[in-house]
Amino acid sequence: MNWFLKGLKKGIKTEKFPKTNPIDIAPWSTELNGSGNVNCPTKAIDNGSWNSERCIYCRRCYPLYSPTGNIDIFKVNKKNNIFRRSFYVYPIDIGTCGGCNLELKLISSPQYDMTRFGIFFTNTPRHADALIIMGVMTEGMKEPLLNAYEAMPEPKLIIALGVCAISGGILGTGSQIEPDVIIPGCPPNPYTILKALIEAKGDKE
Amino acid sequence: MRRLIGQLGKFCLYSDTYFEGTCPHIENEEIANSPYGAFNFTYGPSAGGLFESVGIDINTFGEYIRNIKVNPNYKKREIRILDKSIEDAILYIERINAAFSASHVISFLSAIDKISESDIDSDVLNLRILQIEMERIRNNLFVIERLVESAGFQVPLYQLQYLIENVNRKIGKLFGHRYFFGVNSLRKININDPKVDFTGIEREFKTIYEDIIENRIFIDRLQGNGIIKDERSIGPAARAAGFYYDARIEDEFLPYKDFDFKISTYNSADAFGRLIVRSEEIFESLRIISQIKVKSKEYKIKVNDGEGIGRVESPSGDLAYFVKVNNGKVVNIDLLSPSSINIELFSKSMVKNIFTDFPFNWESFGIWISEVGVRFI
Repeated sequence: MNWFLKGLKKGIKTEKFPKTNPIDIAPWSTELNGSGNVNCPTKAIDNGSWNSERCIYCRRCYPLYSPTGNIDIFKVNKKNNIFRRSFYVYPIDIGTCGGCNLELKLISSPQYDMTRFGIFFTNTPRHADALIIMGVMTEGMKEPLLNAYEAMPEPKLIIALGVCAISGGILGTGSQIEPDVIIPGCPPNPYTILKALIEAKGDKE
Repeated sequence: MRRLIGQLGKFCLYSDTYFEGTCPHIENEEIANSPYGAFNFTYGPSAGGLFESVGIDINTFGEYIRNIKVNPNYKKREIRILDKSIEDAILYIERINAAFSASHVISFLSAIDKISESDIDSDVLNLRILQIEMERIRNNLFVIERLVESAGFQVPLYQLQYLIENVNRKIGKLFGHRYFFGVNSLRKININDPKVDFTGIEREFKTIYEDIIENRIFIDRLQGNGIIKDERSIGPAARAAGFYYDARIEDEFLPYKDFDFKISTYNSADAFGRLIVRSEEIFESLRIISQIKVKSKEYKIKVNDGEGIGRVESPSGDLAYFVKVNNGKVVNIDLLSPSSINIELFSKSMVKNIFTDFPFNWESFGIWISEVGVRFI
């Protein structure tokens, strides 16, 4: 049997998300809710409020704080609906543990199928509409990051993926380029990543 | 039989002991007398075809690779771990490499357990085995997915991605986190939902496996590619060359001997052999997992001062930590990562191969740059 028929035989595996709720989600990648003072190693919980941009989901706050299952923990400060039909993203690893790389890659899996929303990966910043920055800022990647940023055509969006790129998490400092979109998590789950990218490219609800 | 594993800080680590000093060094084969037309080509550090940022210097004249050097230091992270408590140290260690996070933490905790001379409950040790074997399944699927992606085979690529996502969801449901972050602490293993079964994964993978190894176009790209038969190999690279090397049977700290499983070996020593070994290991890991009863576990341990070495069989081979503890704090720590050894093996195996072999051979070693580019401060 050829590959085409083998593929057809498997049937449709893509979920209806975001029209329907996520089917299966690991709790410790979602919003935390609770009250009380805890000894948070990254100060993600300070004066009783939870800051997603610092949380590494270490569970030291549990059971005072626990995950709600809400995946909408991202922020889109700037979107551009010029990218509605096709949105090419260039991921750059400036010092990751590999977790963000793995989760970003999985939005192309049949469950999520990012291409149905016109989202694609590109191998060069010259063809990119968005730069996805992952990891803590390392000395050796400062220049390649700047080169990638400058090589991109306008208009462009900057996306910080994962708590390392946003605030440095527990390992270091974040990227020094001001992001238009932040996607918290350690690492962020694919549902959150996909939903944030759909919103950033200016899709209608 | 004693085998040399590699340099772990000030020690040279062997399969059954360690000695203070430097391990015997093996030079990568370099071809002298640069011929007309040979040139140096640098790939990376930020290039779309690479999963992580890494610099690769290749000396070639078109197709034939004369020498290759991997520079993992572009994304080198300084990890502030010294003088941290053991609980705090775990937060850092589990973020060295997400793909092998459980292996890293469990290797570190094994060193702590040995220093503490405590008897660790067998349920705890079994839960650690469960994590490492789940990690092995996920990682081996990922390596195979990268191989078929290099060949441009879209159907098995998406079938494997589907399976990887399913495994991630099962890990996430069982432990609460898809990469085992926040699961292990000094006295507890957090279980979110113990009623997760892995049936279905084997059937699903078997079909894909049979399809890809029957495909002549695919296996032609792997057979004879990156041949390395070296006694200093580790993990799937060693077992693909017929060496019966595996920390699961050598280091008795984790009770693998209580489980029915076999060590998979092959005799081709090439990228195809590494594919076969990793695939067979997925079935064996599923067998091990099916023998473990899952329940949430807390345990008691009194941490002593002292130093010790912990070692596990990570998905890409031996992974070891040397840890020194004083007043409950980590005062010295060294890591021997499987990727650092596999980078040397890859570089050696790549000489005299042709340029188009490079992506297949690179992926077949399952190297993670994040666990090499680390400096503890």
